[in-house]
Amino acid sequence: MLGRHIAIVGVGETRPVRRSDKGLRGLVVEAVEAALADAGLEPGDIDGVVSDGLIMPSTVPRDWVAAQFGFGRSYDGGMSYGGAATACSPIHAQLAISSGMAKTLVYYFGVDWGTRASGPYGFHDLYAGKMAFEKPYGFTGQPQYFALWARRYMHEYGLTERDLATIAVTQRESALLNPLSQATQPLTYEDYFASRMISSPLRVPDCCLLTDGACAFVMTSLERARDLAKPPVRVLGAGFGSEPISGDDVFTQPAGMMRIPGARIATGKALQQAGITLADIDFAEVYDCFTISCLLQLEDIGFCKRGEGAAFIREKGIGLGGKLPVNTHGGLLSHSYLLGVEHVIEAVRQLRGEAGRGQVAGAEIGLVGGLSNPDYGVMILGRDVR
Amino acid sequence: MMLPEFAGFFENAAQQRLAFPYCRRCANFHWYPMPRCPQCRSRDIIWRSIEGRGELVSFSHVMHAFDKSRSDALPYVVALVKFADAPGVNLITNIDAPAMDTLQVGDSVVPVFRTDDGEQPMVEFRLA
Ligand SMILES: [Zn+2]
Repeated sequence: MLGRHIAIVGVGETRPVRRSDKGLRGLVVEAVEAALADAGLEPGDIDGVVSDGLIMPSTVPRDWVAAQFGFGRSYDGGMSYGGAATACSPIHAQLAISSGMAKTLVYYFGVDWGTRASGPYGFHDLYAGKMAFEKPYGFTGQPQYFALWARRYMHEYGLTERDLATIAVTQRESALLNPLSQATQPLTYEDYFASRMISSPLRVPDCCLLTDGACAFVMTSLERARDLAKPPVRVLGAGFGSEPISGDDVFTQPAGMMRIPGARIATGKALQQAGITLADIDFAEVYDCFTISCLLQLEDIGFCKRGEGAAFIREKGIGLGGKLPVNTHGGLLSHSYLLGVEHVIEAVRQLRGEAGRGQVAGAEIGLVGGLSNPDYGVMILGRDVR
Repeated sequence: MMLPEFAGFFENAAQQRLAFPYCRRCANFHWYPMPRCPQCRSRDIIWRSIEGRGELVSFSHVMHAFDKSRSDALPYVVALVKFADAPGVNLITNIDAPAMDTLQVGDSVVPVFRTDDGEQPMVEFRLA
């Protein structure tokens, strides 16, 4: 099957920090260098360059990266943006390699939203409807979008603030086991309830960090992968899903709200390629821009039914010792906020057995979900068992 | 970024009326304004005014100055309001400060029109 003949063979990252003086382009170069070194490859081995389709082209374009490394590009691509783009990026490798357009591709993504004045909020200025009808009312940032969803979800399904706290507290425990996490202090339930409210019901620990940093990874055919430096991590499946609704409308207008239809579509495609079910997933790295969005994705990916996310988290457990470890490096909440590209790096480390104190015992198959509402990307990665 | 298809909202609000885009082909409201109806893709869209009474779908007390120019206005309430006579429309708005601590999802609200000189008209709400 198409999806199963691709592998991730090298990963690289910069140390995520709130403010870097290296510049975003410098950070991307550092991440790509690290990914090549990890794979044991030279720039001349790369013939495909992939990024997201919106944020990188306007900050660190692919031609610039190719020129820095001397990559001869016979494939160049970017689909969707941000988290969804990263999580579905193996689709590029599947298409390019199976069609003979390229043999070995590098994917990179990074942001400097820790230092940039407008941070993540500036991104939404792209949307005319938001500018005309939301900004004048002080509805300007992602924490507010998800605050409305969280309040409504509490009303409909009885979610409590303590349920949200459980996600933040659990992920912080995992973050403290990861040497690169930006969050370095423990978080108790007491700390959570004493923390500053940002946009009720969401508090500081419900919101992702702000980060300057970049990550990169190298994809090639499984056949080539088996000759390289590190044990290959197989791409068992990759999927993209969306719905025809614009970024203007997606947070406020859909009937019922609080749902991410693309997640179910993308997951279905990735599972089908992989020939497995969600019961086979040992751990998941889910786009936790907020506690509430992590919970909603657990439902929309299909780990539990609608309205049952909080019960699933309480009863099954999402910590490293739980039934479904989620965001094993601390996630966007406590590790870093690079829009989920760090989730791919973490999943690869888990499957190589390189996750150190944060290692999930017996991790064979992991799922990475990336959200860029209404778009969603999923990759399912597996240990190379022969 | 004021688009031509947005103008009807502000023209109506300046006259103390709440109006939303309405597709004459499929007889549905939609929001935000756009050239083609998101239900049936028709371009036969008019502005249709409604009575104005709405219901709180959700709300949030904003305690952080996402926009630095608002740091003096904290906290304020952003709310999402729906209308029985304009199904399919959810409007982002602010709720009058006095009601702040007692708000509940499902509360009934009515519009308050604000037209400051030289500014776009604003439509805020208060508890009915
Ligand atoms: Zn229509």
